[in-house]
Amino acid sequence: MNFSVLSSSKQSNMPVSPVKTRIPLTSFGHLITEVKKQLFGIEAPASTELTGLRKYFNSYTLQGRRNYVLATYGVFALTAVAYWMHRQHKKENHASSSTA
Amino acid sequence: MILGLFDQFFTPYFAGIPLLAIAIIAPWLLFPTPSNRVVNDRSLAAQNSFILNFAKQILLPLNVGAHKWALLLTALMINLITLNLLGLLPYTFTPTTQLPLNMGFAIPLWLATVLIGLRNQPTIALGHLLPEGTPAPLVPVLIIIETISLFVRPFALGVRLTANLAAGHLLIQLLSSATLFLLDQMFPVAILTSLVMALLTILELAVAAIQAYVFVLLLSLYLQENT
Repeated sequence: MNFSVLSSSKQSNMPVSPVKTRIPLTSFGHLITEVKKQLFGIEAPASTELTGLRKYFNSYTLQGRRNYVLATYGVFALTAVAYWMHRQHKKENHASSSTA
Repeated sequence: MILGLFDQFFTPYFAGIPLLAIAIIAPWLLFPTPSNRVVNDRSLAAQNSFILNFAKQILLPLNVGAHKWALLLTALMINLITLNLLGLLPYTFTPTTQLPLNMGFAIPLWLATVLIGLRNQPTIALGHLLPEGTPAPLVPVLIIIETISLFVRPFALGVRLTANLAAGHLLIQLLSSATLFLLDQMFPVAILTSLVMALLTILELAVAAIQAYVFVLLLSLYLQENT
């Protein structure tokens, strides 16, 4: 069998996709990140460069991203609790002023 | 019997007994049961070939831990594709045009993938909520956006299937009504509408299979993220 057709196809000028691996389709953020990574490369700083608070809160390492997410959820939860307590306090003040 | 536009979406009743359960379970009666023979008949061989190839394709990107879902995903695919295709027959009821049914498939399965991710690999599951390389000022915004997109997933799954099938059935109903009306009034136009309806039926056959596949594929992708 003549395989010259197969070998000559490597020398053809067919455009090659710059995308190397399967792109995740489950989230727009993941899609943008993967395309950006493969086309331009995300220059993650070395672990020694991440010092202080950036060592625990950064968007490059898995742990950093997890901590960012937990911190954001924590801030929202605290804000919701503070707002609810403020409303309770206001309700109690209003009830006590109306009965007085 | 003159039918209204939305009569095809009502639950079928017979002597006051709702037939919804029969409509959902009946497709399974159409499939041949496996036998102990070494060489099976054509229908069983075709069924086995479809199931094996589909399971292989859907499990290819998944880790070994997620292969426990093989039976569930394959059964879901066969169920959805059969319900969708049978619904294209005239005067049949299509259970997958009902949003509660599709949400009943989507919400528990999506929730299962999320809980599996949080239980087995919580760091990775939470890390998915923030894309890599996000600039610091955008972090809270993106986390909120990714959280919203996470919770919208089951609704998107259910509504996509419902809307595609319901819209297709409505179009078929409208075009067939138009063709019947135009047969007496303007016969050449009726030929045109019947041609469009033939093309639409072919499209709906494709949509029925594709939407079932998309439902199961997206579930497998959510599972891939969390295992």
